[in-house]
This record gives sequence, C-alpha cells and structure tokens, in this order.
Amino acid sequence: MAETWLLWAALTAYGMVALLALPLPLPSARGSRPPAHLLASMALLAAVVLHTLSLLSRWRTLGHGPFTTMHEILSSNLWSLALVFLLSWWAVREVRGTLPVAMLVLTTLGLWLLLADARPGHFPPTYATPLLYLHTVVGKLFLGLLLVAVALGAVPVLRHTAWGRRRCAGLPDDRRFDELAHRFAAFAFVFETLMLIAGAVWAQDAWGRYWAWDPLETWAFLTWLALAATLHARATLRPAPALHGVWLFGVFVLAFLTFFGVPFISTAPHKGAV
Amino acid sequence: MKTFTILRALAAHFGSLRATLAGMALLAAAALSYQVEGMPATLALGTALGLLALNLLAALVKHPAFRRQLPLLVCHLALLALAVLAGLGRMTALDGRFELLQGVDFDGLLIESSAGPWHRDRLAELAFRHDGFEIDYAPGRRRGATRNLVSWRDAGGAPRSMVIGDHHPLVLQGYRIYTSPNKGFAPLLTWRPSKGPPVTGGVHLPSFPIHELRQSREWSLPDGRTAWVMLQFDQTLIDPAAHAAFELPDPHRLVLRIDAQRFELAPGERVALTGGTLVYEGLRSWMGYRVTHDWTLPWLLAAALLAALALAWHYTQRFFLAAGARPPRAAMGISPGARHG
Repeated sequence: MAETWLLWAALTAYGMVALLALPLPLPSARGSRPPAHLLASMALLAAVVLHTLSLLSRWRTLGHGPFTTMHEILSSNLWSLALVFLLSWWAVREVRGTLPVAMLVLTTLGLWLLLADARPGHFPPTYATPLLYLHTVVGKLFLGLLLVAVALGAVPVLRHTAWGRRRCAGLPDDRRFDELAHRFAAFAFVFETLMLIAGAVWAQDAWGRYWAWDPLETWAFLTWLALAATLHARATLRPAPALHGVWLFGVFVLAFLTFFGVPFISTAPHKGAV
Repeated sequence: MKTFTILRALAAHFGSLRATLAGMALLAAAALSYQVEGMPATLALGTALGLLALNLLAALVKHPAFRRQLPLLVCHLALLALAVLAGLGRMTALDGRFELLQGVDFDGLLIESSAGPWHRDRLAELAFRHDGFEIDYAPGRRRGATRNLVSWRDAGGAPRSMVIGDHHPLVLQGYRIYTSPNKGFAPLLTWRPSKGPPVTGGVHLPSFPIHELRQSREWSLPDGRTAWVMLQFDQTLIDPAAHAAFELPDPHRLVLRIDAQRFELAPGERVALTGGTLVYEGLRSWMGYRVTHDWTLPWLLAAALLAALALAWHYTQRFFLAAGARPPRAAMGISPGARHG
C-alpha cells in the first residue's frame, strides 16, 4: 500500500515537472537561473526520490525487483530515465535546457504506467542470477544516455521553428549541442554493447544458446546497428546538427519500441518480462 | 604499377566509411530476414559480415590514421574476431535434445540434433545418470526452480554428483547439458520372455503437467507387438490454486492394452501374455535435456568484452583526456578527414 501512495506521489511530482518545463524560459548562457527552472529541478529530484522509495517498497513486499510485469518494467524505466537525466542535468549545464524534450518521454511512460496492471507477476527461475541485474543496469544506462543525447540533439531541430528559436535563444550554439549529443550517444552505444553481451551470456545459461535471432534479439541488434550507423555516419557524412538530432531521435524510437513493444507482441520464448 | 594503382583505388573504395554504412544496411536486412520464413538468412548474414570484414581490412590499409587510434583499432579487430569465431562456432557446434529415465545412464543418443559439419561427436563418452528431480510450482502452475540430481564418474573413475537446473548446466568435456521444461512419468516394465533374457525399459509418457489429460502412449514389446499404456490416478498432483511441487502419483494404476486384452496393474504386478510375462516394476520420472557444445563460447565473450571496453577507452580518451589538449573544433569531432566512430 505504501508503494502505491509513494508511486502516486512520484507521478504527481513528475507531472509538476512536466507542467513547469513547458512554459519555462530556458536557462540563459549567462548563468541566471529562473525560479521556475529551480522549481522544476527540485520537483524532478523529489519525483526520483519518491519513485525510488516506491520501487524499494515493492521490492521488499514481493521479494524481487521490478523485472516481471509491464507495470514494473515501465515503472523501473521511468525511474532510471529520470535518474540518468537528473544526473546529466547536474553534471552538464546544457542538459538543463532540454527538460521539455525529456519530459515528453517521461510523461508518456508515466501515463502508460497509470494504465498498466499493477498486480505482481511470476519471478521465473531463470531470473535468479546476477546477470539479470547486470543486463538490466547496463540496459537502463544505455536508454538513459540515449534519452539525454536525443534531448540535446533536439535543440538544433527545435531551432528550425520560430517557437524553438525563441525558446532556445541564449543557449549555446547548435554545434555545442550536437557535440554533446554525440558524446552521450557514444557512451550509450558502449552500454548497449554491454547490454547485448550480458543478455547473450544469460541466454546461453538460461536456454542453452547465446543468440537465436528471435524477435527481441533481432530488434535489439537492429537498434545497436542503427546507433553504430549513426556514429559512423556523423563522421563521414557530416550532417547538420539538426539532421544528426533527427537520426538520434530515430534510434531512440527504435530502442523504445524494442524495449517496450517487441517483448509484448512476440510469441518466442524470449519475451523479456512476460 | 598499374595493378598497384588499381588495388589502391579498390582499397579506397571498399575501405571508405560510406562502404561501412552500405555494409551495415546489408547487415540490417540480413538480420531482418531471420524473421521471414524461407529466406536464406544465414547466407545473407555471412555475406554482409564478409563485406564488412573486407571493408575493415581495406580501411586498415588505406587509412593510417585508423591504425594509429589503438583503442578504436582494437575494438574493430575484436568485432572482426567475433564474426570469425561465430562462423567457426556454427561449423563445429552441436545442439541436441534427449530424454533420460531416472536411474539410467545417458547412452549418447539424441532425439533430435543439429551439428556443424566439423563437429566431432564424443557424446557417448559422457555417461552421466539422471537421479531424479524436484520442481517447485507457484499458484497458477507457474514453474519455479528445477533441481535435478545427476551423477557421473570423473576421468579418474571417482563418483561425482551435482544438482543442475534452469541456468545451471552440467558441463562435461565441453558439453553443456541443461534441463528443459519437458519432463514427466515413465512406467518401468520388464518383459520376461519364455526363452531368453529379460528386457527392462521405461515408457516416457507425454510431458507433465502440460499434457496432464493425455498420460498414455503406444509402446512396442521386444517381440514387435504394440501395447498401449495409460497412467491412471485420482490425485491432483499440482494444485493450480496453491504452491506445489512435482511428485509421482501415489496410489496409481497402469492400464495396459495388448490386442483385445485389457489389464490394470499396480507396481510389482505382472501379467502373463503369449510368449512371456510382462512385469510392471513401478513408476519413475524422465527428464528432457538440451545438450550443446561450442568451444568458441569463452573466446566469443572475450572478443565481445574487448570490443566494448576498447570502445569505452577510445571515447574516454577522445572526449575527456584529449579534448582539453585540442582546439575546440577538433574536440567537437568536426575536424577535417573522415574518422571512424
């Protein structure tokens, strides 16, 4: 019960962040910090803390982590995306200007979470392995870093509109956002590679094969390939920052569908949480 | 001289990053072809990986700058090794299934298998024994942990045993033996012919509990006659509403039908038939196993980890260690000259 109240409190705080993010003037390069911006950062911190307590409470009640149902997968990913974004916000000044973009994704997950069945699921015997935690942690780091890359890459895209130019006035130039997006995408790629490796080791132990091209493995590989192609293409085709931002958004859509779509429509034994 | 010029031009063409992007597109199409039945997916994958390997080798020849970036070079060479090892693994690996009666040694025979053309079969040397299993069930008959006791003799002849199940395989001489969800009951029958030695064997009934209502099957007596057996019991063995465990039914009867005759036997009972006597020794369990053999596994893991760590090293060096020493444009990755990654 405590878990439910904490989750609602966290979702309310996320909602506040979303409301504060939309009308916000973005922080200027001169370093002034508007009160609404400060409020948004505090609300995001509160949301992540409340969400952490909610997840821990459920973990303690059920005896296992949030790995088995759509509700748990959505909840844990909303938490990890928000946490990675918050840490990036703290570490990289430019990330603070991208809150509205990140909140679009976090709000989508939050609304979806409200619709998901919160009843506990079965913890399969093959989940009783440290590989579950390794695979999950590096996977969450991958998606979180990619979200930050997409949010940064969106600024040059937004600047193609009059609204975006007004909102992003005073922020560093497009090349700076492009470079930062590239850096986050590069490390997202490293973690995605590690996620695939941990998943393959786990599949070998759980099912006696490390790779079988089932739908989830195929789409995870295609996501990896798409990000690899984006990193290579940036070096050779020299896209404009806005085009690079669009490519990163495409990779994120592919990753999002792989994480939250394929496991739930596939009929193969490798069904992620199902 | 002219040949050398042509080779250089070819290397420049195949070693470009644009060629890499084309190879990646082909690799994506090959991966997708695994989702379409009837497509030559393995051939497409091999072709795409071959072209990417050629692209990488040409890039190494053509771009000295690529050779100078050691972490990036290590990453790409590790990926190349990964592809080569995966191909070798397909040529030498074995993947098979078999079932084993409780108390009986594995004889090396598989029900179904797929093996690479270079696989050397040493399954007959394994000779481990299935000594029974325990399986937990959560409410809703959701399968929990499997604990399967197996025993064997090591190279020195000393008896060894261990509990395997789920993601804990038995590893013998490079073969990895996994339990599977398939398991069930096996009536043990002995045929004592009027002349000749007795023969004992188990009849593996369909997997339980998935085929709970179909616990029967046909079986051939050693003299060629066909018999039909069915396990009969009233117990609810795995209660769907509660936590439960796999267990043998007790009491139970074995229904035996041969030609027009029908018999019901309890453990230890026998029936006289034309040409001999059939004894129902009792009920055992059988377990379905998956056996795999792939010597490349540890090398694949090493190559994959090397690729990932070398890439992390490359980006750390480029973004954090070298960035401070470079002019801003170079640090932003927009300096002239095509670069990988």
